Amino acid sequence: MELKQLAFEQRKWMVLLTAASLAKGAAMVGQALFFVLAVNGVFLEDAAFADITPYLYGLLGAILLRAFCGYAIGRAGVELSTEVKLKLRRQLISSFAADPLLASEHGQSGRKVSLLMDAVDEVDGYFSKYIPQMIQTYIIPIVLLAVIFYQHWITGLIILITAPFIPVFMALVGIRTKEKADEQMEKLGQFSGTFLDVLQGLTTLKLMGQADRQQKTIKKSSLDFRDSTMEVLKSAFLSSLMLEYISMLSMGIIALEIGLRLVVFDSLTFFTAFFVMILVPDFFNMLKDFGSAFHTGRSSAAAAGRLSEELTKKTEPVRFGNTELALQGPGLLELEELEFQYGGGFSLGPATLEIPPFSQVAFIGKSGSGKTTLLHAIAGLLPLTGGRLLVDGMDRQDISEQSWFSQMSYISQNPYLFAGSIKENIALGAGRKVADEEIMAAAKQAGIAEMVLSLKQGLDTPVGEAGRGLSGGEKQRIALARAFLKKPSLILFDEPTTGLDLKTERILQKSMAELGKGATVLTVAHRLHTIKKADMILVLDNGKLAGAGSHSELLSSEPLYREMIEAQFGGVLQ
Amino acid sequence: MSGLKQILFLTLHEKRDVALAVFFGFLAGVAGVALLASSGYLISRAALTSQMTILIVMGACLKLFGLASALSRYAERLFSHRATFTMLSNLRSSFFEKLSPLAPGIFSHYRSGDLLARIVGDVESLQNFLLRVLYPPIVLLLVFLSTIFFSAYFSMGIAAVIAIGAFLTVFAVPAVFAMRQRTIHNAARASRASLSTESAELLHGFRDLKINQRLEQKQQQLEDFSGDYGSQQRKEGLEENLSQSVNGLVALLASFFVLGLGAYFTAAGELDGLYLAMLVMISLGAFENVSPMAAFPAHFEENRKAASRLDEVAPAAPVLKGDGQPPQWPFDITLDNINFTYRGEERAALTDISLQIEPGTKTAIVGPSGSGKSTLLQLLLNILEPDEGTIRLGGRELAELDQEKVWESMNAVLQENHFFFGTIKSNLLIANESASDEQLEAALSQVQLAELALSMKVGEKGQNLSGGQKQRLAIARAIIRRKPLWILDEPVSSVDSITAKAIYSELFSSGKDESFIIVSHDLTALSQMDQIIVMDGGKIVESGTYDSLMQKKSYFYELKQIEKDVFA
Repeated sequence: MELKQLAFEQRKWMVLLTAASLAKGAAMVGQALFFVLAVNGVFLEDAAFADITPYLYGLLGAILLRAFCGYAIGRAGVELSTEVKLKLRRQLISSFAADPLLASEHGQSGRKVSLLMDAVDEVDGYFSKYIPQMIQTYIIPIVLLAVIFYQHWITGLIILITAPFIPVFMALVGIRTKEKADEQMEKLGQFSGTFLDVLQGLTTLKLMGQADRQQKTIKKSSLDFRDSTMEVLKSAFLSSLMLEYISMLSMGIIALEIGLRLVVFDSLTFFTAFFVMILVPDFFNMLKDFGSAFHTGRSSAAAAGRLSEELTKKTEPVRFGNTELALQGPGLLELEELEFQYGGGFSLGPATLEIPPFSQVAFIGKSGSGKTTLLHAIAGLLPLTGGRLLVDGMDRQDISEQSWFSQMSYISQNPYLFAGSIKENIALGAGRKVADEEIMAAAKQAGIAEMVLSLKQGLDTPVGEAGRGLSGGEKQRIALARAFLKKPSLILFDEPTTGLDLKTERILQKSMAELGKGATVLTVAHRLHTIKKADMILVLDNGKLAGAGSHSELLSSEPLYREMIEAQFGGVLQ
Repeated sequence: MSGLKQILFLTLHEKRDVALAVFFGFLAGVAGVALLASSGYLISRAALTSQMTILIVMGACLKLFGLASALSRYAERLFSHRATFTMLSNLRSSFFEKLSPLAPGIFSHYRSGDLLARIVGDVESLQNFLLRVLYPPIVLLLVFLSTIFFSAYFSMGIAAVIAIGAFLTVFAVPAVFAMRQRTIHNAARASRASLSTESAELLHGFRDLKINQRLEQKQQQLEDFSGDYGSQQRKEGLEENLSQSVNGLVALLASFFVLGLGAYFTAAGELDGLYLAMLVMISLGAFENVSPMAAFPAHFEENRKAASRLDEVAPAAPVLKGDGQPPQWPFDITLDNINFTYRGEERAALTDISLQIEPGTKTAIVGPSGSGKSTLLQLLLNILEPDEGTIRLGGRELAELDQEKVWESMNAVLQENHFFFGTIKSNLLIANESASDEQLEAALSQVQLAELALSMKVGEKGQNLSGGQKQRLAIARAIIRRKPLWILDEPVSSVDSITAKAIYSELFSSGKDESFIIVSHDLTALSQMDQIIVMDGGKIVESGTYDSLMQKKSYFYELKQIEKDVFA
């Protein structure tokens, strides 16, 4: 993704920027012209004040035009940046929403939020500062130079010869400092990390009685950091000193040349000399402004790189069709050579299996054996890389997304609750407007009604982001209430391992049994209880289906299953 | 405002650098004005006479002032940045000094983890304080004062015009924009926070949103928030642009009036025309310097907010805890009818907790997650204070004891243990600086981590270590520290059960006279405990030895049955 290209896609603002820059250049010329005309009038031509008032009006006009154009350019930059940022954010959001791997991928969210917030903000400078300055630098110095040439071509020539030294020297200094600066940026990141590191470790330090010593460390590393930063800044300042020095030198030569003509040869008028002497500094100021905008532009480039990496990432979407599921209640699920592979790494399947309606299926296997991935693949949360899933003989990919998901509930070990009221969180399952009574009924079935009623605000009690303020068991029960409201015909359940209180444990068992009556239930099982009463147990080993059958069948026929059960429960089996 | 005062104080602490920066800033500004003034004057002179000396003087002036301006600018930048970075380092350590006595209690008030990141961000943003807030107006004031004095020599009227222009551009316009900035800045911050929260919800809740078919709705919502944030940022940008344009216009208008008035005086014969060009150039040159004032309002507001936020986190006078001497080991610990509710929460985290822990005994606190086990430990550590009831160490009230001295007798391993960027060795030495390599290695092997080399690098927050390794390293730190009272919060929850058992037996066999208080939801290895306290819903539901609880066949027994049933 080229930032420049993004800018030029916003034609309207680019045209405006160009027009405003041209007008600003003209205004700058006009301003100098009228200044000089007025001074020339009263100083050399002994004109009366009334004679020069037209010049003053002209000057006022030029000043207003210049200020207005400056405003327009700044505004165009802001608008340009706003539109580009909005577009980038929209693209990022759709890319997040379209990425099926998000469902299973954890630990990436922080990086993604930072892309959406910080990286996009970091490109702001490119559009709001760098681009407007760049266009002004393309246009205004040329306008000024043209006028200077027209007035006094020798001055123009001197500028033409000396000005190119500026970019050349800047480049030379730039190459030398860039490496150092990059190294420093790394150090800077590390350093601000150190301060954060110590603050985060404050509890540990206090409990160890080490906090005082750290204070000295902070001070010292902070000063070290200052000294190395100053080294880099010194060269950066040196490059602007260079710029000023070259422009000063160039102006000196011009002044000398003008002076010679003015004093010795008398071949130049005061008007021309003064006019040129006002325009030349303006010319160099434009170049200086570009120099500082350039740094802003460069720091945006790194952010742009990170954004483009995310936006060009290819993800295979989960495919859905248009057919509505006609059936009422659960159907027959058939896995036909079902496969899923992530990158070059983990691969699941091919798995072939028949799951009759209303069956209770338990998935077991060591951690990393692919239980949850298989659950996701069946749920339509991950794109299949091979094979099919048939629902009553119909390919899942032909079924419409809406009709598929409205038949299904997924209850994970750690269900996500959204910032909002308990009511809103339960109603999420229905996908329609539901009466409070219905929500309360679902809450009762999930065994959470009592707890909800004990709260002052009842169903309207707000829960924080990620369900803050509720215990793990309570979150589970709210997720169950969601499912009771939805009445799904397929339930996917990742059984909680430990850490639930006895009451929740019992409620979960009872509610799950109740909920499972009208549905096919696929459970990633952690309880021997669940495994034993399942109609079918699927043993997964390293992504492959290593066995399927009831508890007693597998015990007698499948050595792997026998081994696993014995290792875990030892004596319990007897 | 007291926040910014604090920053000001810290900045002025760097007297020499600040003074030098102001001096060179002033010199650079004045030399720039002098350069333009002399060129204006000399061109006018040259137009009238044909003396060669004029030419020579002209050349010399241009060189002198030009060089002086460029060099002073260089020196100004150097000193101002140096002063800024020194100020930042002072700020960091003084902030740490203030925050340190409040820890760790303060962290339990702010449950959100980004508090610290915000602090660091706020401290970083204060680097603009000297550079863009404090000293541009001072330097400008000095430059304008000398300009006004100089031009007053030629014309009082023109000097007055410059003075008015200076007042407007340096004070009036920035002040007006600084006032307007308050509301804008707040709104932008708020909309940024909601966009960030919403996007985290979309990412974390992806699966639930997808299955409940709310993804598109959330996506739409997120786009709305993004649009909202965008328009707030746009407002901010436009405001800065407006501030810049207005300030630029006022500066140009001031030069316009200088010219108009000068031309009027010249035409009326009250001012020698020779000086007109010079005065115009002075005005143009002086007002060229005001451009930094355009960014002043935004930076001022940002700094003001950052400083007051920092001030809020660490108020100037830290809350004084007790200063009593803790009793000598061995001592018993008694809790008497403790009640505790987290700030801003409706339900009590602990109700009516009473218990006694004799010296040299092993106590386990078990129960489901959210039952209040960890809260109880935090109370024992005096990180949290009970709302009601008292905790006594050897008969002395905990609240009246010097917190840090109490910790001196404790070996605390919390659920979250911090590991610093560095090596295994540097992280272990935090426990005891004078420990030898042999001692460190012995501790490592006691926690079954002998395979880790002392020189191994540890990343930020110990990110290159597994959860189990971090837990074991934290225990190793406690072993190196070796204090008689062990307080452990889920110390081995990520360690496999065989290793966990081995670590426990190491600890128990080497610390026979020491007290252990261990919070755990894992019920294995409890038979060696002298006392097991079972908690649920913030209450103690039963307590006793392992055997007595198993015989009772009540709550603990049932938890044990479930655990047996778990297939992990």
